[in-house]
Amino acid sequence: MNEEKYIEERVGKRNPFLVPEGYFDQLTDQIMQTLPERKPKAKSIWMRPVLYAAASICALLICTGTYLALSEEPKHEAALVTTPQQEVYDDDFDEAADYMMLDNHDIYALLSEN
Amino acid sequence: MSERDEQQITQLLADAATQRKGFELLVRGYSEQLYWMIRKIVVEHDDANDVLQNTFLKAWNGLDTFHGDSKISTWLSRIAINESLDFLRRKKQPTVSVEEVTVSRLTADEYFDGTEAEALLQEAIATLPDVQRTVFLLRYFDEMKYSDISQMLNTSEGALKASYHIAVKKITEYFKSRD
Repeated sequence: MNEEKYIEERVGKRNPFLVPEGYFDQLTDQIMQTLPERKPKAKSIWMRPVLYAAASICALLICTGTYLALSEEPKHEAALVTTPQQEVYDDDFDEAADYMMLDNHDIYALLSEN
Repeated sequence: MSERDEQQITQLLADAATQRKGFELLVRGYSEQLYWMIRKIVVEHDDANDVLQNTFLKAWNGLDTFHGDSKISTWLSRIAINESLDFLRRKKQPTVSVEEVTVSRLTADEYFDGTEAEALLQEAIATLPDVQRTVFLLRYFDEMKYSDISQMLNTSEGALKASYHIAVKKITEYFKSRD
């Protein structure tokens, strides 16, 4: 890279910074003095049974919910299939035919055209 | 620091009884290297000293997060860079302002031993955004590999190469504009 060379030739790569005399000699002690004591992580033993119980209840609720949802599904589908047919072929169809003043002959003629 | 030393420190850190001793070895082994990394970013010695203390304090408090997946040096460098950039942001300056890092100020600083050209380079570096500045410092002065910088900054090598290229271009232009 030409531009990198330009900087290198003009400035070089020397570290121009200085530190106070003896700075690095005392640094480790200085840093170690500022560190607090580490407390070991307290593992709460009494919480474990509570967690297990909560997890079991969650699992039970999920299983029950899934079972109920799956067992209800076919009934719902049957209702969807039968109900509209009954409505169309029974009351509503007759009502519509009456409203439009169509007799059976007209209906057969319309159906054969389509 | 050799790989064997790193392994020894990792073992000491893993045991609560030897943790402090392990950390002392870690501070002894890496403090100078980290100091220079931080100093190049924050420029002033006092600021670098504060950031270095915070870096080790954070590492000490977060020892549980170090599982030995990466090298200790990479883990520490990542903390040091984040702390340095956070320090600059806390000063409410996304970059160290040109008013602060100037040739006249640097040449008057007792802990700066550079020529006028070296001071001008610092002035130019201070105008760069965070990532470009960090990549430039690590690559130009420390000749660090892109793969190592990538691990430290969690950025792809391609993006780092692009950042470095832009940084070099900006610095060159900065110099030429002052000729």
